[in-house]
Order: sequence, then C-alpha cells, then structure tokens
Amino acid sequence: MFTAEELAQIRSQAEAEYPAECCGVLLLRGRDGTDRLLLPCRNIQDELHAKDPVKHPRDSRTAYYIDPKDLLNIGRREGEGYAVAVIYHSHIEAGAYFSATDKRNALIDGAPTYPDAVYVVLSVVKGKVVDAQSFVWDPAAGDFVAGSSAPS
Amino acid sequence: MSVQVYIPTPFRRATNNKDRVTVEAHDVRMLLDELESHYAGLRGLVRDEQGEVHAHVNIYVNSEGIEALQGLATTLEDGDEVSIIPALAGGRTIDVHR
Repeated sequence: MFTAEELAQIRSQAEAEYPAECCGVLLLRGRDGTDRLLLPCRNIQDELHAKDPVKHPRDSRTAYYIDPKDLLNIGRREGEGYAVAVIYHSHIEAGAYFSATDKRNALIDGAPTYPDAVYVVLSVVKGKVVDAQSFVWDPAAGDFVAGSSAPS
Repeated sequence: MSVQVYIPTPFRRATNNKDRVTVEAHDVRMLLDELESHYAGLRGLVRDEQGEVHAHVNIYVNSEGIEALQGLATTLEDGDEVSIIPALAGGRTIDVHR
C-alpha cells in the first residue's frame, strides 16, 4: 500500500499537525503502481468551524475536511490518469477505527465515493502515532470493513 | 456558452464513464440543469431536492469555488472549465470513549 518512505512521511505529517487531524491521499497511475504521488492535504476544519460553528460544530481536533484547493488538484491529477488509491487521516487521542462520521462522509447517496480506494486511519496519542489501520469497501456487506493488510 | 465540465471518478457512473463533457450554458445553474437532463443519474448526486448543491460537493469555475463567486448564478464564458468535486471529510467518534 505505502512504501516505507511514504509511511514515514505520513507519520511525520500526523505528528507535526497534532493536535489537529491530518489528511491526504495517495494517487497511483499505471498498471504496476510505480507512478505514485503522495499528496498531503490541508485540513480546513478549523476555518469551517470558525466561520459557521453551527453547521460545523467540530474543530480539527476531532474532524478533517480537505481543502477544496487540494480537491481540485486531486481532480486534475485524475484527469492526468491518476486514481485515488488511498485516503488517509488521523484520529487524535483516539483509536485507528473507521468512525460513523468517516463512513457517512465516504458515501454519496449510499454508495462509496471512491469504492476502490483504501482508507487509512492513524491513531495519534500524545503527539505520537501509535497505530494505523486500513479499511476497504465490501460490496457484499454494504459497509467498510478492516483491510486485509496493514498500511505499510 | 460552450463550457467544458470535468466529471470526477465518483460521478462517472452517472455519465457513462465520461470524464469530460461539453455543455452549453450561461450560468452554473443552467449547466447543472443541462447535465442532469442528459445524465439522469446525476440527479440527487450534485444537488438536493431543493436544487441546492449538496454540502459535500464543491463546484469550481476555472479553479475558483462558486461560493466565492455568485453561487449557482455564476455566469459562464466560452471556454470556461467547470469541475464538480465531492468533498473528502471525516473525523473521530466524539461521543464514545475508545
């Protein structure tokens, strides 16, 4: 899933952005998956919360929202042949589980937004990454389930 | 106005897998109307029943989000590029200690 370098970069990002949840994507192009692009993204949850705390009651300690500018960049890369392979984010002082919020936001009209992507969640406790787990869409179960491999 | 629309992967199931379509429209609302009339599967994915863009969907005209322009009334020019991109968001559980 991730190369050792990519995983190290993501762990560093998660710890550097603590106590905010971090987020990003890994894009792949080509059959062999050697054309890889790791895109750490900006979490704008604090800005959304400051602008409209009723609509966005959470801040970045408990939620993430990828900067639309990053989303546009991802879209452009998709236009260049890349596909979203991994979507990752961290949980602060919490486990590496796929929360109800994660699930709700990963669905559009009941169908997964990125059915072929792996979702990776990192647990960051007291500023250190202590766990990371992967989750994939299971069409038979109609739900996200634990991935078969660790995110490495 | 002839406008290029970028369709991201999550919405291509509604556009016969097309990633770009050309639409004639003078503003974003008309563009969405045209898209939905050609690709019925897009109905409900981009806008709600009241015709408002879903909170988890972002629409850009030449890299500028329409919320920073005139929303659905944002006018379009020949050659503009419109992108419709779903949000990526989530977060930990806050009501249960794990």
